[in-house]
Amino acid sequence: MRTPPFNAPTKVVGALLALLFAPSGPAHAHQLNVFAFIEEGAIVVEAKFSSGRVAREGVVTVYDAADALIHETRLGADGSVRLPRLANEGGLRIEVSAGDGHSNYWILTPQDMARASVDAETQS
Amino acid sequence: MAARQLGMTRPALALCSMTSAAVVAGPAFGHFGMLIPSDPMVSQQDMRTIDLELSFSHPFEATGMDLARPKAFGVLHNGESTDLLDTLSEARVLDGAAWAGSFTPERPGTYVFHMEPQPYWEPSEDVFIVHYTKTYVSAFGDNADWDAELGLETEIVPLSRPFGLWSGNVFQGIVKAGGEPVPYAEVEVERYNADGAIEVPSDLMITQVVKADANGVFTYAPPRPGWWGFAALTTADYQLPHEGVEKDVELGAVLWVRFEPWPE
Repeated sequence: MRTPPFNAPTKVVGALLALLFAPSGPAHAHQLNVFAFIEEGAIVVEAKFSSGRVAREGVVTVYDAADALIHETRLGADGSVRLPRLANEGGLRIEVSAGDGHSNYWILTPQDMARASVDAETQS
Repeated sequence: MAARQLGMTRPALALCSMTSAAVVAGPAFGHFGMLIPSDPMVSQQDMRTIDLELSFSHPFEATGMDLARPKAFGVLHNGESTDLLDTLSEARVLDGAAWAGSFTPERPGTYVFHMEPQPYWEPSEDVFIVHYTKTYVSAFGDNADWDAELGLETEIVPLSRPFGLWSGNVFQGIVKAGGEPVPYAEVEVERYNADGAIEVPSDLMITQVVKADANGVFTYAPPRPGWWGFAALTTADYQLPHEGVEKDVELGAVLWVRFEPWPE
């Protein structure tokens, strides 16, 4: 059985984070979907369009809970990029801008960050 | 001629027929395997754990029957199947024995939840009923694989994306059995009136019935938002014993789809 990354209190925290972080992705025919998760100590960011095609290029920006830009890089040609683990217990907002108004974001909540830490400790 | 020989008048014959029909057929309840998720479109702002409700019910009439522990319950995502049978716990749905599960999608994409019940003996129809039941859930804005086929003994493969639909949209699917389309399959359609049955002018309004075309494709446009179930019924090519007598088995390919209200 999988371990849920979120519980009810987490939802509240997530909602607060969503309020703190101004949402960016407009929804249209070629909506850009952004997803991020933590794997083996790195943050993996994936971006693809609703058509199923990956975003072959794009700017990735990472903001902390205070909305300060803490990291910037570019997507790889496969629509993903691995970021170094950015220590930030308050959560992260990861935005991807693929041009022509195609942008969206994913929030790694404090619970996501904590769970990844637990997973890393379990594996080590 | 026969009526005259029996000394019946036409009205008497008609009345007799109506009474007979009522005794034999009873109310027009549709049996539906049911698999209802708490949210068919999970976004990152939502509660990410999906609650799942498994039952065997008359959805329009809001009455439940008892669903024995399912034979199989799982989910398909990105071509990978996960067995969820051990996650089920006992529950009550529409006053019938039912099952509850939960699942947390960890990656974007379409999750196809499916349930195979144990054969249900229906004495009033003198038949066993096995409804292969499924529903599609999209996670985090990704609709990849929304038309995924599970390879069940019988199933409805959606031709319309089975989530993110407006009320009134046309919905189409292919009825398949053994992986092949079923020409002219009969499909029963009912709305899940979870808050209680609604009054209808005729029992004929409870279960909508459409037939597939020669390619097994059926079409329906729900008039109201909510969960709608599509059940394509066929008779199995095998029988099961009941009290020492072999009985027919009704196979149902059941698909649950939610239609959203137009924002006012």
